[in-house]
Amino acid sequence: MNILEVEGLRKEYPEFTLDNVSFSLEPGYIMGFIGRNGAGKTTTMKAMLNLIGKDGGRVMIDGLDYSKNEIECKKKIGFIMGEFDYYKQSKLKTIACVVKRMYEDWDEEAYKGYMKHFGLSEEKKVKELSAGMRVKFGLALALSHNAKLLILDEPTSGLDPVSRDDLLDVLRGVIEDGTRSILYSTHIISDLEKCADYITYIHDGRILLSTDVVSFKEKYLLVSGDMDDLARYSDIIIGHKDHAFGFTGLILAENKDRIGSMKTAPADLESIMIYTEQEASLNA
Amino acid sequence: MRNLLYKEFKLCTTPTVFIFMAFVLMLLIPNYMYLIPAFFLCNAIFQAFQQGDTNNDLSFTMLLPVSKKQAVMAKYLYAAIIQLVMLLLYIPMILLNNAVTPQPNEMLDACPTLLGGVLTVFALFNLIFFPTYYKRDCKPGKGFLIATIVIFVWIFTFEGFFIVSKAFADQVWIFNWIQNNIDCIPANSASMTAQLTAILIGLIIYALLTFISFKKSVSNLDKVNL
Repeated sequence: MNILEVEGLRKEYPEFTLDNVSFSLEPGYIMGFIGRNGAGKTTTMKAMLNLIGKDGGRVMIDGLDYSKNEIECKKKIGFIMGEFDYYKQSKLKTIACVVKRMYEDWDEEAYKGYMKHFGLSEEKKVKELSAGMRVKFGLALALSHNAKLLILDEPTSGLDPVSRDDLLDVLRGVIEDGTRSILYSTHIISDLEKCADYITYIHDGRILLSTDVVSFKEKYLLVSGDMDDLARYSDIIIGHKDHAFGFTGLILAENKDRIGSMKTAPADLESIMIYTEQEASLNA
Repeated sequence: MRNLLYKEFKLCTTPTVFIFMAFVLMLLIPNYMYLIPAFFLCNAIFQAFQQGDTNNDLSFTMLLPVSKKQAVMAKYLYAAIIQLVMLLLYIPMILLNNAVTPQPNEMLDACPTLLGGVLTVFALFNLIFFPTYYKRDCKPGKGFLIATIVIFVWIFTFEGFFIVSKAFADQVWIFNWIQNNIDCIPANSASMTAQLTAILIGLIIYALLTFISFKKSVSNLDKVNL
């Protein structure tokens, strides 16, 4: 059974529509949720959690319909939106004291462990923490109530590379037993290369692709050639960048046989996103 | 709900709540509008919401395993508890007022009827402040401003009525009855019954308007995009 199923999620604003967003996530995996600013990542996450009213669609958490079982579903979810930006004048222990009362499955030992692991002192106030430490505190809270699904919206944006790497190790550890999953939105695509099993790519409120990372990357190839090649194969090149020796661009792997002598290389997630967005903005 | 209330008191209560509660001491001022301390308590609730707004309290609450209705209910219960404490504080202060300044007030006397008046002030605050807060952007300023204007109009009207009734007690029988039964320190069972009825009416108004307000707030928050 999927731990998360999003089916036909819709939210209409005057200038933006989240249109028929659907994807699912099995237990034991990390799904990277990518897309440029304003593509609809945060709106999707908020609509999933009923923080904004949706205009259609259904969200299932561990087999439960979220709309009908909101409280039960929330107990199974740990949600972090960026850094922990609440009650800045309060001590961490005061906040933890409030949060732990809300969850029957609160694991005090795990909480103490994460606090120690992240180097957080309960005596400190939120305002005394750096951006990175605030993210870690939010994570410590989310991870300590045995959530089956962690929904993380830009959790690593305030962290230095070492802390990010450390966090990714923690996230891998969280899903290790195969019972928990993570939906993880970020602009730092290199983090997803390290930890994501699945990728869901949203563009302008629509899901372009939702599949495993290997399949996602295998769908594309990076190509490089001279400017004549660019002109010759422009119909199959999905975005490109010019440089002193010609250009580098992206193609669908299925078009590999149509590119003549151009050099190819495996595509990485960041390149796929950059070139796809470039193409989309040219066509807009 | 108990856990949510714990959160309200632990994370959202500011010292100003207790400072404004101390304004009940204004009942020792002779010839004063004794409903004013009740307004100050409304201000304290507004301050707590203001503090909550600064701390992104609503967003935090909605990430906890609670429904929007429960989140709203917790705020109402929190306000109701503070209002009840203030109401109870009025009682010893009324007795103290009677002992220290036994001469009649120019406006409503410090008497049991005052408690009914206090409840109407709280009822008006609840009716206006909460649904306005839970509308669109969940900012407390607008609701408090409107509530302040309405409450002051009500306080001046309410107190003004007792000034008029005192002035014309000898000419108009109903004003005479009010002065002998409603706006006085109860001297017999008839005046005590009348004043307890005034409290009961205040309580009914409070319960009714707060209930209407709660329904409206829940419906409003449902439409808010957090």
